[in-house]
Amino acid sequence: MDGSEPALRFDHASLAYGRVRVVEEVDGVVRPGESVALIGPNGAGKSTLLRAVLGLVAVVGGRIEVLGRTPARARRDVAYIPQADTLDAEFPVTAGQVVLMGRYREVGWLRRPGARDRGIAAEALDAVGLADRAGDRFGTLSGGQRQRVLLARAIAQRPRLLLLDEPFNGVDAVSQDALLAALAKLRADGAAVVVSTHDLALAHLACDEVCLLNRHQVAFGPTEDILTPELLRAAYGGQALITDGAVVAH
Amino acid sequence: MSLLVEPFASPFMARALAVALLLGVVGGVVSVFVVLRRLAFVSDTLTHTVFPGVVVGFLVAGTNGIVWGALAFAVLSVVLLTVLSTHARITEDASLAILLTGFFSVGVILVSRRPSYTADLTAFLFGRILTVDMRQIVVTAILGAVALLTLAALRKELVFRAFDPAGAAARGYPVVALDLALNLVVALVVVAAVRAVGTVLVIALLVVPGAAARLLSDRLAAIVVLAAAIGALGGWLGLAASYQASIEHGLRLASGATVVLALVALYGVAAAVGTVRSSARRRGRVTP
Repeated sequence: MDGSEPALRFDHASLAYGRVRVVEEVDGVVRPGESVALIGPNGAGKSTLLRAVLGLVAVVGGRIEVLGRTPARARRDVAYIPQADTLDAEFPVTAGQVVLMGRYREVGWLRRPGARDRGIAAEALDAVGLADRAGDRFGTLSGGQRQRVLLARAIAQRPRLLLLDEPFNGVDAVSQDALLAALAKLRADGAAVVVSTHDLALAHLACDEVCLLNRHQVAFGPTEDILTPELLRAAYGGQALITDGAVVAH
Repeated sequence: MSLLVEPFASPFMARALAVALLLGVVGGVVSVFVVLRRLAFVSDTLTHTVFPGVVVGFLVAGTNGIVWGALAFAVLSVVLLTVLSTHARITEDASLAILLTGFFSVGVILVSRRPSYTADLTAFLFGRILTVDMRQIVVTAILGAVALLTLAALRKELVFRAFDPAGAAARGYPVVALDLALNLVVALVVVAAVRAVGTVLVIALLVVPGAAARLLSDRLAAIVVLAAAIGALGGWLGLAASYQASIEHGLRLASGATVVLALVALYGVAAAVGTVRSSARRRGRVTP
Protein backbone atom coordinates (compact mmCIF):
# COMPACT_ATOMS: atom_id res chain seq x y z
CA MET A 1 0.00 0.00 0.00
CA ASP A 2 1.48 3.32 -0.97
CA GLY A 3 0.47 6.78 0.17
CA SER A 4 -1.33 7.66 -3.06
CA GLU A 5 -3.86 4.85 -2.77
CA PRO A 6 -7.36 6.38 -2.54
CA ALA A 7 -9.02 6.29 0.86
CA LEU A 8 -12.35 5.82 -0.85
CA ARG A 9 -13.29 5.00 -4.43
CA PHE A 10 -16.85 4.97 -5.76
CA ASP A 11 -17.05 3.24 -9.10
CA HIS A 12 -20.56 3.85 -10.51
CA ALA A 13 -21.90 2.51 -7.22
CA SER A 14 -25.64 1.87 -6.75
CA LEU A 15 -27.10 0.98 -3.37
CA ALA A 16 -30.28 -0.80 -2.35
CA TYR A 17 -32.32 -1.74 0.69
CA GLY A 18 -33.79 -5.08 -0.30
CA ARG A 19 -35.02 -4.64 -3.85
CA VAL A 20 -35.43 -0.89 -3.65
CA ARG A 21 -32.59 1.09 -5.17
CA VAL A 22 -32.04 4.17 -3.03
CA VAL A 23 -28.85 5.69 -4.46
CA GLU A 24 -27.53 5.33 -7.98
CA GLU A 25 -24.39 6.04 -9.95
CA VAL A 26 -22.04 7.51 -7.38
CA ASP A 27 -18.65 7.94 -8.95
CA GLY A 28 -15.60 9.61 -7.47
CA VAL A 29 -12.41 9.31 -5.46
CA VAL A 30 -11.39 10.61 -2.03
CA ARG A 31 -7.66 10.67 -1.31
CA PRO A 32 -5.90 10.57 2.07
CA GLY A 33 -6.02 13.98 3.73
CA GLU A 34 -8.98 15.15 1.64
CA SER A 35 -12.42 15.98 2.88
CA VAL A 36 -15.69 15.63 1.02
CA ALA A 37 -19.09 17.04 1.91
CA LEU A 38 -22.14 14.93 1.06
CA ILE A 39 -24.88 17.42 0.29
CA GLY A 40 -28.47 16.85 -0.70
CA PRO A 41 -32.05 17.21 0.54
CA ASN A 42 -33.55 14.93 3.20
CA GLY A 43 -34.02 11.46 1.79
CA ALA A 44 -31.32 12.04 -0.85
CA GLY A 45 -29.39 8.98 0.38
CA LYS A 46 -26.57 10.65 2.33
CA SER A 47 -26.85 8.36 5.36
CA THR A 48 -27.33 5.37 3.09
CA LEU A 49 -24.11 6.20 1.27
CA LEU A 50 -22.23 6.45 4.61
CA ARG A 51 -23.70 3.10 5.69
CA ALA A 52 -22.61 1.56 2.40
CA VAL A 53 -19.04 2.73 3.01
CA LEU A 54 -19.29 0.83 6.32
CA GLY A 55 -20.50 -2.27 4.50
CA LEU A 56 -23.95 -2.10 6.12
CA VAL A 57 -25.90 -1.45 2.90
CA ALA A 58 -25.69 -3.64 -0.20
CA VAL A 59 -23.86 -2.32 -3.25
CA VAL A 60 -26.00 -3.68 -6.11
CA GLY A 61 -24.23 -2.05 -9.01
CA GLY A 62 -20.68 -0.84 -9.56
CA ARG A 63 -18.26 -0.91 -6.64
CA ILE A 64 -17.16 0.83 -3.45
CA GLU A 65 -13.55 0.36 -2.42
CA VAL A 66 -12.38 1.52 1.02
CA LEU A 67 -8.59 1.76 1.49
CA GLY A 68 -8.20 -0.71 -1.36
CA ARG A 69 -10.51 -3.24 0.31
CA THR A 70 -14.21 -4.11 0.33
CA PRO A 71 -16.13 -1.93 2.82
CA ALA A 72 -16.71 -4.75 5.32
CA ARG A 73 -13.00 -5.62 5.36
CA ALA A 74 -11.92 -2.03 5.93
CA ARG A 75 -14.07 -1.35 9.03
CA ARG A 76 -11.12 -1.52 11.40
CA ASP A 77 -9.67 1.61 9.80
CA VAL A 78 -12.95 3.48 9.36
CA ALA A 79 -14.58 5.58 12.07
CA TYR A 80 -18.26 6.45 11.97
CA ILE A 81 -19.54 9.36 14.01
CA PRO A 82 -23.32 9.34 14.53
CA GLN A 83 -25.39 12.41 15.30
CA ALA A 84 -25.01 12.99 19.03
CA ASP A 85 -28.71 13.66 19.54
CA THR A 86 -29.64 10.18 18.33
CA LEU A 87 -28.02 8.72 21.48
CA ASP A 88 -29.79 8.21 24.83
CA ALA A 89 -28.94 11.23 27.00
CA GLU A 90 -29.94 9.33 30.16
CA PHE A 91 -27.48 6.48 29.54
CA PRO A 92 -25.19 6.06 32.59
CA VAL A 93 -21.85 6.44 30.84
CA THR A 94 -19.16 9.12 31.25
CA ALA A 95 -17.53 11.06 28.43
CA GLY A 96 -14.28 9.19 29.15
CA GLN A 97 -16.02 5.82 28.88
CA VAL A 98 -17.58 6.80 25.54
CA VAL A 99 -14.15 7.70 24.14
CA LEU A 100 -12.72 4.43 25.43
CA MET A 101 -15.34 2.60 23.31
CA GLY A 102 -13.23 3.68 20.33
CA ARG A 103 -10.56 1.27 21.58
CA TYR A 104 -12.84 -1.76 22.14
CA ARG A 105 -12.23 -3.31 18.72
CA GLU A 106 -8.47 -3.09 19.22
CA VAL A 107 -8.77 -4.41 22.80
CA GLY A 108 -10.69 -7.41 21.47
CA TRP A 109 -13.33 -9.74 22.94
CA LEU A 110 -13.09 -10.83 26.59
CA ARG A 111 -10.32 -8.34 27.42
CA ARG A 112 -10.44 -5.12 29.41
CA PRO A 113 -8.93 -1.89 28.06
CA GLY A 114 -5.41 -1.42 29.47
CA ALA A 115 -3.35 1.59 30.50
CA ARG A 116 -2.27 2.19 26.90
CA ASP A 117 -5.88 2.30 25.68
CA ARG A 118 -6.81 4.67 28.51
CA GLY A 119 -3.87 6.89 27.57
CA ILE A 120 -4.96 7.01 23.91
CA ALA A 121 -8.55 7.79 24.96
CA ALA A 122 -7.37 10.59 27.28
CA GLU A 123 -5.27 12.10 24.47
CA ALA A 124 -8.23 11.94 22.10
CA LEU A 125 -10.49 13.73 24.56
CA ASP A 126 -7.77 16.35 24.96
CA ALA A 127 -7.61 16.77 21.17
CA VAL A 128 -11.24 17.96 21.13
CA GLY A 129 -10.66 20.23 24.13
CA LEU A 130 -12.66 18.25 26.68
CA ALA A 131 -9.93 16.65 28.82
CA ASP A 132 -11.46 18.17 31.96
CA ARG A 133 -14.89 16.61 31.28
CA ALA A 134 -13.81 12.95 31.19
CA GLY A 135 -15.70 12.11 34.40
CA ASP A 136 -18.92 13.91 33.44
CA ARG A 137 -21.90 11.87 32.35
CA PHE A 138 -22.25 12.04 28.55
CA GLY A 139 -25.86 13.22 28.73
CA THR A 140 -25.01 16.21 30.93
CA LEU A 141 -22.81 17.75 28.22
CA SER A 142 -24.15 20.20 25.64
CA GLY A 143 -25.03 18.96 22.15
CA GLY A 144 -21.80 20.34 20.72
CA GLN A 145 -19.70 18.81 23.49
CA ARG A 146 -21.37 15.41 22.95
CA GLN A 147 -20.49 15.64 19.27
CA ARG A 148 -16.88 16.40 20.25
CA VAL A 149 -16.82 13.38 22.57
CA LEU A 150 -17.99 11.20 19.67
CA LEU A 151 -15.25 12.69 17.47
CA ALA A 152 -12.75 11.90 20.26
CA ARG A 153 -14.03 8.31 20.26
CA ALA A 154 -13.30 8.19 16.52
CA ILE A 155 -9.83 9.70 17.03
CA ALA A 156 -9.06 7.06 19.69
CA GLN A 157 -9.76 4.47 17.03
CA ARG A 158 -6.89 5.95 14.92
CA PRO A 159 -8.86 5.76 11.68
CA ARG A 160 -7.70 6.40 8.13
CA LEU A 161 -11.20 7.37 7.02
CA LEU A 162 -13.81 9.28 9.06
CA LEU A 163 -17.50 9.37 8.27
CA LEU A 164 -19.54 12.05 10.00
CA ASP A 165 -23.36 12.16 9.89
CA GLU A 166 -24.61 15.76 10.23
CA PRO A 167 -21.97 16.65 12.85
CA PHE A 168 -22.77 20.36 12.97
CA ASN A 169 -26.51 20.16 13.65
CA GLY A 170 -27.36 22.27 16.68
CA VAL A 171 -23.70 22.77 17.58
CA ASP A 172 -22.60 26.01 19.25
CA ALA A 173 -19.76 28.15 17.86
CA VAL A 174 -17.14 27.01 20.40
CA SER A 175 -17.80 23.34 19.70
CA GLN A 176 -17.94 23.97 15.97
CA ASP A 177 -14.47 25.52 16.07
CA ALA A 178 -13.15 22.66 18.19
CA LEU A 179 -14.64 20.10 15.78
CA LEU A 180 -13.17 21.86 12.75
CA ALA A 181 -9.73 22.13 14.38
CA ALA A 182 -9.71 18.44 15.33
CA LEU A 183 -10.80 17.45 11.82
CA ALA A 184 -8.06 19.61 10.29
CA LYS A 185 -5.49 17.90 12.52
CA LEU A 186 -6.74 14.45 11.49
CA ARG A 187 -6.52 15.42 7.82
CA ALA A 188 -3.02 16.78 8.30
CA ASP A 189 -2.11 13.37 9.69
CA GLY A 190 -3.40 11.76 6.50
CA ALA A 191 -6.96 10.71 7.33
CA ALA A 192 -9.70 11.26 4.77
CA VAL A 193 -13.01 12.75 5.91
CA VAL A 194 -16.54 12.42 4.56
CA VAL A 195 -19.16 14.70 6.11
CA SER A 196 -22.87 14.52 5.41
CA THR A 197 -24.31 17.99 6.00
CA HIS A 198 -27.04 20.47 5.21
CA ASP A 199 -24.77 23.36 6.01
CA LEU A 200 -23.36 24.70 2.74
CA ALA A 201 -21.33 27.41 4.47
CA LEU A 202 -19.54 24.76 6.51
CA ALA A 203 -18.99 22.66 3.40
CA HIS A 204 -17.20 25.69 1.96
CA LEU A 205 -15.18 26.09 5.14
CA ALA A 206 -14.24 22.49 5.87
CA CYS A 207 -14.29 20.51 2.63
CA ASP A 208 -12.21 20.51 -0.55
CA GLU A 209 -14.77 18.54 -2.49
CA VAL A 210 -18.51 18.11 -2.62
CA CYS A 211 -20.65 15.18 -3.66
CA LEU A 212 -24.08 16.55 -4.54
CA LEU A 213 -26.69 13.86 -4.12
CA ASN A 214 -30.38 13.35 -4.70
CA ARG A 215 -31.03 9.61 -5.08
CA HIS A 216 -28.34 9.73 -7.74
CA GLN A 217 -25.12 11.69 -7.98
CA VAL A 218 -25.80 15.16 -9.36
CA ALA A 219 -22.17 16.25 -9.28
CA PHE A 220 -18.84 15.42 -7.60
CA GLY A 221 -15.87 17.76 -7.65
CA PRO A 222 -14.06 20.71 -6.04
CA THR A 223 -16.29 22.67 -3.65
CA GLU A 224 -16.09 25.91 -5.64
CA ASP A 225 -17.16 24.22 -8.87
CA ILE A 226 -20.01 22.26 -7.35
CA LEU A 227 -21.73 24.66 -4.97
CA THR A 228 -23.17 26.77 -7.75
CA PRO A 229 -26.79 27.91 -7.91
CA GLU A 230 -27.41 25.82 -11.05
CA LEU A 231 -26.14 22.54 -9.59
CA LEU A 232 -27.81 23.15 -6.23
CA ARG A 233 -31.11 23.72 -8.00
CA ALA A 234 -30.54 20.51 -9.93
CA ALA A 235 -30.04 18.64 -6.64
CA TYR A 236 -32.74 20.29 -4.56
CA GLY A 237 -35.28 20.87 -7.32
CA GLY A 238 -37.42 23.96 -6.78
CA GLN A 239 -36.65 23.92 -3.04
CA ALA A 240 -33.24 25.57 -3.34
CA LEU A 241 -33.07 28.95 -1.73
CA ILE A 242 -29.89 30.77 -2.53
CA THR A 243 -28.97 34.02 -0.87
CA ASP A 244 -25.88 36.18 -1.36
CA GLY A 245 -22.95 33.76 -1.28
CA ALA A 246 -24.14 31.82 1.75
CA VAL A 247 -26.44 29.27 0.22
CA VAL A 248 -29.40 28.15 2.24
CA ALA A 249 -31.24 25.15 0.94
CA HIS A 250 -34.37 23.42 2.16
CA MET B 1 -33.54 -7.36 63.72
CA SER B 2 -34.67 -10.77 64.95
CA LEU B 3 -37.78 -10.25 62.81
CA LEU B 4 -35.48 -10.48 59.79
CA VAL B 5 -33.37 -13.42 60.97
CA GLU B 6 -35.69 -15.59 63.06
CA PRO B 7 -37.92 -16.76 60.19
CA PHE B 8 -34.99 -18.48 58.51
CA ALA B 9 -34.18 -20.85 61.39
CA SER B 10 -36.34 -23.54 59.86
CA PRO B 11 -34.71 -25.41 56.96
CA PHE B 12 -37.49 -24.78 54.43
CA MET B 13 -37.27 -21.03 55.06
CA ALA B 14 -33.46 -21.13 54.88
CA ARG B 15 -33.70 -22.84 51.48
CA ALA B 16 -36.27 -20.29 50.33
CA LEU B 17 -33.94 -17.50 51.45
CA ALA B 18 -30.99 -19.05 49.59
CA VAL B 19 -32.99 -19.12 46.35
CA ALA B 20 -34.38 -15.62 46.90
CA LEU B 21 -30.89 -14.19 47.48
CA LEU B 22 -29.47 -15.99 44.44
CA LEU B 23 -32.31 -14.84 42.20
CA GLY B 24 -32.14 -11.34 43.67
CA VAL B 25 -28.46 -10.93 42.87
CA VAL B 26 -28.61 -12.52 39.41
CA GLY B 27 -31.91 -10.86 38.48
CA GLY B 28 -30.59 -7.56 39.84
CA VAL B 29 -27.47 -7.60 37.64
CA VAL B 30 -29.39 -8.72 34.55
CA SER B 31 -32.10 -6.10 35.19
CA VAL B 32 -29.52 -3.34 34.70
CA PHE B 33 -29.09 -4.46 31.09
CA VAL B 34 -32.86 -4.94 30.68
CA VAL B 35 -33.41 -1.34 31.76
CA LEU B 36 -30.52 0.06 29.67
CA ARG B 37 -31.74 -1.73 26.56
CA ARG B 38 -35.41 -1.01 27.36
CA LEU B 39 -36.16 -4.70 27.17
CA ALA B 40 -38.93 -4.78 29.79
CA PHE B 41 -41.57 -5.89 27.29
CA VAL B 42 -39.16 -8.33 25.64
CA SER B 43 -38.48 -9.82 29.08
CA ASP B 44 -42.18 -9.98 29.87
CA THR B 45 -42.70 -11.82 26.60
CA LEU B 46 -39.98 -14.31 27.52
CA THR B 47 -41.60 -14.98 30.90
CA HIS B 48 -44.79 -15.98 29.06
CA THR B 49 -43.20 -17.93 26.22
CA VAL B 50 -41.31 -20.06 28.74
CA PHE B 51 -44.62 -21.06 30.36
CA PRO B 52 -45.61 -23.84 27.90
CA GLY B 53 -42.09 -25.25 28.37
CA VAL B 54 -42.73 -25.46 32.11
CA VAL B 55 -45.97 -27.35 31.48
CA VAL B 56 -44.48 -29.71 28.87
CA GLY B 57 -41.48 -30.42 31.11
CA PHE B 58 -43.80 -31.21 34.01
CA LEU B 59 -46.06 -33.45 31.92
CA VAL B 60 -43.10 -35.40 30.52
CA ALA B 61 -40.84 -35.75 33.55
CA GLY B 62 -42.58 -34.34 36.63
CA THR B 63 -41.17 -31.47 38.69
CA ASN B 64 -37.58 -32.29 37.71
CA GLY B 65 -38.51 -31.83 34.06
CA ILE B 66 -39.70 -28.26 34.55
CA VAL B 67 -36.28 -26.63 34.17
CA TRP B 68 -35.46 -28.57 31.01
CA GLY B 69 -38.81 -27.85 29.39
CA ALA B 70 -38.47 -24.19 30.33
CA LEU B 71 -34.92 -24.08 28.97
CA ALA B 72 -35.95 -25.62 25.63
CA PHE B 73 -38.80 -23.15 25.17
CA ALA B 74 -36.59 -20.28 26.33
CA VAL B 75 -34.04 -20.97 23.59
CA LEU B 76 -36.77 -21.46 20.97
CA SER B 77 -38.57 -18.25 21.88
CA VAL B 78 -35.37 -16.19 22.14
CA VAL B 79 -34.40 -17.18 18.61
CA LEU B 80 -37.91 -16.43 17.28
CA LEU B 81 -38.01 -13.14 19.13
CA THR B 82 -34.60 -11.96 17.98
CA VAL B 83 -35.37 -12.88 14.37
CA LEU B 84 -38.82 -11.25 14.46
CA SER B 85 -37.47 -8.03 15.95
CA THR B 86 -35.00 -7.64 13.06
CA HIS B 87 -37.88 -7.63 10.55
CA ALA B 88 -39.04 -4.08 10.15
CA ARG B 89 -42.39 -4.78 8.45
CA ILE B 90 -44.20 -5.63 11.68
CA THR B 91 -43.48 -3.38 14.65
CA GLU B 92 -41.55 -5.06 17.42
CA ASP B 93 -44.24 -4.66 20.05
CA ALA B 94 -46.83 -6.29 17.79
CA SER B 95 -44.62 -9.30 17.07
CA LEU B 96 -43.83 -9.61 20.79
CA ALA B 97 -47.53 -9.57 21.65
CA ILE B 98 -48.18 -12.30 19.08
CA LEU B 99 -45.42 -14.48 20.54
CA LEU B 100 -46.45 -13.78 24.13
CA THR B 101 -50.12 -14.68 23.76
CA GLY B 102 -49.52 -17.53 21.31
CA PHE B 103 -47.05 -19.38 23.51
CA PHE B 104 -48.94 -18.61 26.70
CA SER B 105 -52.16 -20.03 25.27
CA VAL B 106 -50.41 -23.26 24.33
CA GLY B 107 -49.33 -23.55 27.97
CA VAL B 108 -52.83 -22.87 29.28
CA ILE B 109 -54.41 -25.42 26.92
CA LEU B 110 -51.90 -28.08 27.96
CA VAL B 111 -52.32 -27.46 31.66
CA SER B 112 -56.13 -27.22 31.43
CA ARG B 113 -56.28 -30.86 30.36
CA ARG B 114 -55.10 -31.91 33.81
CA PRO B 115 -57.58 -32.68 36.58
CA SER B 116 -55.63 -30.52 39.04
CA TYR B 117 -55.84 -27.60 36.60
CA THR B 118 -56.20 -24.70 39.04
CA ALA B 119 -53.57 -25.82 41.52
CA ASP B 120 -51.06 -26.58 38.76
CA LEU B 121 -51.69 -23.30 36.99
CA THR B 122 -51.18 -21.36 40.21
CA ALA B 123 -47.91 -23.14 40.94
CA PHE B 124 -46.55 -22.54 37.42
CA LEU B 125 -47.60 -18.92 37.29
CA PHE B 126 -46.69 -17.84 40.81
CA GLY B 127 -44.13 -20.40 41.92
CA ARG B 128 -43.66 -22.18 45.24
CA ILE B 129 -40.63 -20.70 46.88
CA LEU B 130 -41.34 -22.38 50.23
CA THR B 131 -41.06 -25.87 48.77
CA VAL B 132 -37.72 -25.56 46.95
CA ASP B 133 -35.26 -28.37 47.65
CA MET B 134 -31.47 -28.54 47.60
CA ARG B 135 -31.43 -29.71 44.00
CA GLN B 136 -33.35 -26.64 42.87
CA ILE B 137 -30.96 -24.39 44.73
CA VAL B 138 -28.07 -25.97 42.84
CA VAL B 139 -29.86 -25.65 39.49
CA THR B 140 -30.67 -22.01 40.24
CA ALA B 141 -27.04 -21.35 41.17
CA ILE B 142 -25.74 -22.97 37.97
CA LEU B 143 -28.16 -21.11 35.70
CA GLY B 144 -27.41 -17.86 37.53
CA ALA B 145 -23.67 -18.40 37.21
CA VAL B 146 -23.97 -18.99 33.46
CA ALA B 147 -26.02 -15.79 33.11
CA LEU B 148 -23.55 -13.70 35.14
CA LEU B 149 -20.47 -15.13 33.43
CA THR B 150 -21.98 -14.38 30.01
CA LEU B 151 -22.65 -10.79 31.05
CA ALA B 152 -19.17 -10.43 32.51
CA ALA B 153 -17.57 -11.77 29.33
CA LEU B 154 -19.58 -9.53 26.98
CA ARG B 155 -20.09 -6.50 29.18
CA LYS B 156 -18.13 -3.93 27.19
CA GLU B 157 -19.69 -5.02 23.90
CA LEU B 158 -23.21 -5.15 25.39
CA VAL B 159 -22.81 -1.69 26.90
CA PHE B 160 -21.46 -0.30 23.61
CA ARG B 161 -24.36 -1.84 21.70
CA ALA B 162 -26.90 -0.56 24.24
CA PHE B 163 -25.50 2.97 24.09
CA ASP B 164 -24.87 3.28 20.35
CA PRO B 165 -26.24 0.48 18.15
CA ALA B 166 -25.31 2.25 14.90
CA GLY B 167 -21.77 2.88 16.15
CA ALA B 168 -21.39 -0.74 17.25
CA ALA B 169 -22.59 -2.01 13.87
CA ALA B 170 -20.22 0.41 12.13
CA ARG B 171 -17.32 -1.11 14.07
CA GLY B 172 -18.30 -4.52 12.80
CA TYR B 173 -19.86 -5.87 15.98
CA PRO B 174 -22.45 -8.60 15.31
CA VAL B 175 -25.36 -6.68 16.81
CA VAL B 176 -27.97 -9.39 16.25
CA ALA B 177 -25.73 -11.99 17.92
CA LEU B 178 -25.20 -9.65 20.89
CA ASP B 179 -28.97 -9.16 21.16
CA LEU B 180 -29.44 -12.91 21.02
CA ALA B 181 -26.89 -13.38 23.82
CA LEU B 182 -28.59 -10.83 26.09
CA ASN B 183 -32.05 -12.27 25.38
CA LEU B 184 -30.71 -15.72 26.27
CA VAL B 185 -29.33 -14.36 29.54
CA VAL B 186 -32.75 -12.91 30.36
CA ALA B 187 -34.34 -16.25 29.47
CA LEU B 188 -31.89 -18.07 31.77
CA VAL B 189 -33.05 -15.93 34.69
CA VAL B 190 -36.67 -16.72 33.85
CA VAL B 191 -35.87 -20.44 33.79
CA ALA B 192 -33.90 -20.20 37.04
CA ALA B 193 -36.77 -18.40 38.75
CA VAL B 194 -39.63 -20.46 37.39
CA ARG B 195 -40.02 -22.94 40.27
CA ALA B 196 -39.58 -20.37 43.00
CA VAL B 197 -41.47 -17.28 41.84
CA GLY B 198 -43.32 -18.52 38.75
CA THR B 199 -43.35 -17.17 35.23
CA VAL B 200 -45.48 -14.11 35.92
CA LEU B 201 -43.72 -12.53 38.89
CA VAL B 202 -40.16 -13.01 37.59
CA ILE B 203 -40.58 -9.91 35.45
CA ALA B 204 -40.31 -7.89 38.67
CA LEU B 205 -36.85 -9.35 39.33
CA LEU B 206 -35.84 -8.49 35.77
CA VAL B 207 -36.88 -4.85 35.86
CA VAL B 208 -37.36 -3.38 39.34
CA PRO B 209 -33.82 -3.64 40.82
CA GLY B 210 -32.18 -2.11 37.76
CA ALA B 211 -34.75 0.67 37.53
CA ALA B 212 -34.38 1.45 41.26
CA ALA B 213 -30.56 1.40 41.12
CA ARG B 214 -30.59 3.72 38.09
CA LEU B 215 -32.36 6.32 40.27
CA LEU B 216 -29.57 6.12 42.85
CA SER B 217 -26.48 6.46 40.66
CA ASP B 218 -25.18 7.63 37.28
CA ARG B 219 -22.22 5.20 37.36
CA LEU B 220 -22.75 1.90 35.63
CA ALA B 221 -20.50 -0.08 37.99
CA ALA B 222 -22.32 1.33 41.02
CA ILE B 223 -25.70 0.68 39.41
CA VAL B 224 -24.83 -3.00 38.92
CA VAL B 225 -23.79 -3.42 42.57
CA LEU B 226 -26.82 -1.51 43.85
CA ALA B 227 -29.20 -3.51 41.66
CA ALA B 228 -27.79 -6.81 42.96
CA ALA B 229 -28.14 -5.53 46.52
CA ILE B 230 -31.71 -4.32 45.96
CA GLY B 231 -32.67 -7.63 44.35
CA ALA B 232 -31.29 -9.63 47.27
CA LEU B 233 -32.75 -7.27 49.87
CA GLY B 234 -36.19 -7.47 48.25
CA GLY B 235 -36.04 -11.28 48.43
CA TRP B 236 -35.01 -11.24 52.07
CA LEU B 237 -37.52 -8.62 53.25
CA GLY B 238 -40.36 -10.15 51.26
CA LEU B 239 -39.82 -13.63 52.66
CA ALA B 240 -39.44 -12.35 56.22
CA ALA B 241 -42.60 -10.26 55.88
CA SER B 242 -44.72 -13.07 54.50
CA TYR B 243 -43.46 -15.43 57.24
CA GLN B 244 -44.13 -12.97 60.07
CA ALA B 245 -47.56 -12.14 58.70
CA SER B 246 -48.54 -15.82 58.49
CA ILE B 247 -47.05 -17.04 61.76
CA GLU B 248 -47.49 -14.07 64.06
CA HIS B 249 -50.66 -12.51 62.69
CA GLY B 250 -52.41 -15.39 60.97
CA LEU B 251 -52.45 -13.37 57.76
CA ARG B 252 -51.51 -15.55 54.78
CA LEU B 253 -49.41 -13.61 52.29
CA ALA B 254 -48.28 -15.39 49.11
CA SER B 255 -44.49 -15.35 49.49
CA GLY B 256 -43.58 -14.80 45.80
CA ALA B 257 -45.95 -11.86 45.52
CA THR B 258 -44.71 -10.44 48.84
CA VAL B 259 -41.15 -10.53 47.50
CA VAL B 260 -42.34 -8.57 44.45
CA LEU B 261 -44.07 -6.03 46.68
CA ALA B 262 -40.90 -5.66 48.75
CA LEU B 263 -39.00 -4.92 45.52
CA VAL B 264 -41.58 -2.36 44.48
CA ALA B 265 -41.37 -0.76 47.95
CA LEU B 266 -37.58 -0.54 47.58
CA TYR B 267 -38.14 1.12 44.21
CA GLY B 268 -40.32 3.67 46.00
CA VAL B 269 -37.54 4.33 48.52
CA ALA B 270 -35.00 4.69 45.68
CA ALA B 271 -37.31 7.11 43.87
CA ALA B 272 -37.62 9.24 47.01
CA VAL B 273 -33.85 9.20 47.66
CA GLY B 274 -33.17 9.96 43.99
CA THR B 275 -35.55 12.94 44.03
CA VAL B 276 -33.96 14.35 47.20
CA ARG B 277 -30.46 13.88 45.76
CA SER B 278 -31.16 15.54 42.43
CA SER B 279 -32.94 18.51 44.01
CA ALA B 280 -30.02 18.89 46.47
CA ARG B 281 -27.66 18.85 43.49
CA ARG B 282 -29.74 21.48 41.70
CA ARG B 283 -29.67 23.71 44.79
CA GLY B 284 -25.90 23.15 45.03
CA ARG B 285 -25.52 24.35 41.47
CA VAL B 286 -27.53 27.52 41.99
CA THR B 287 -25.52 28.51 45.09
CA PRO B 288 -22.03 27.11 44.57
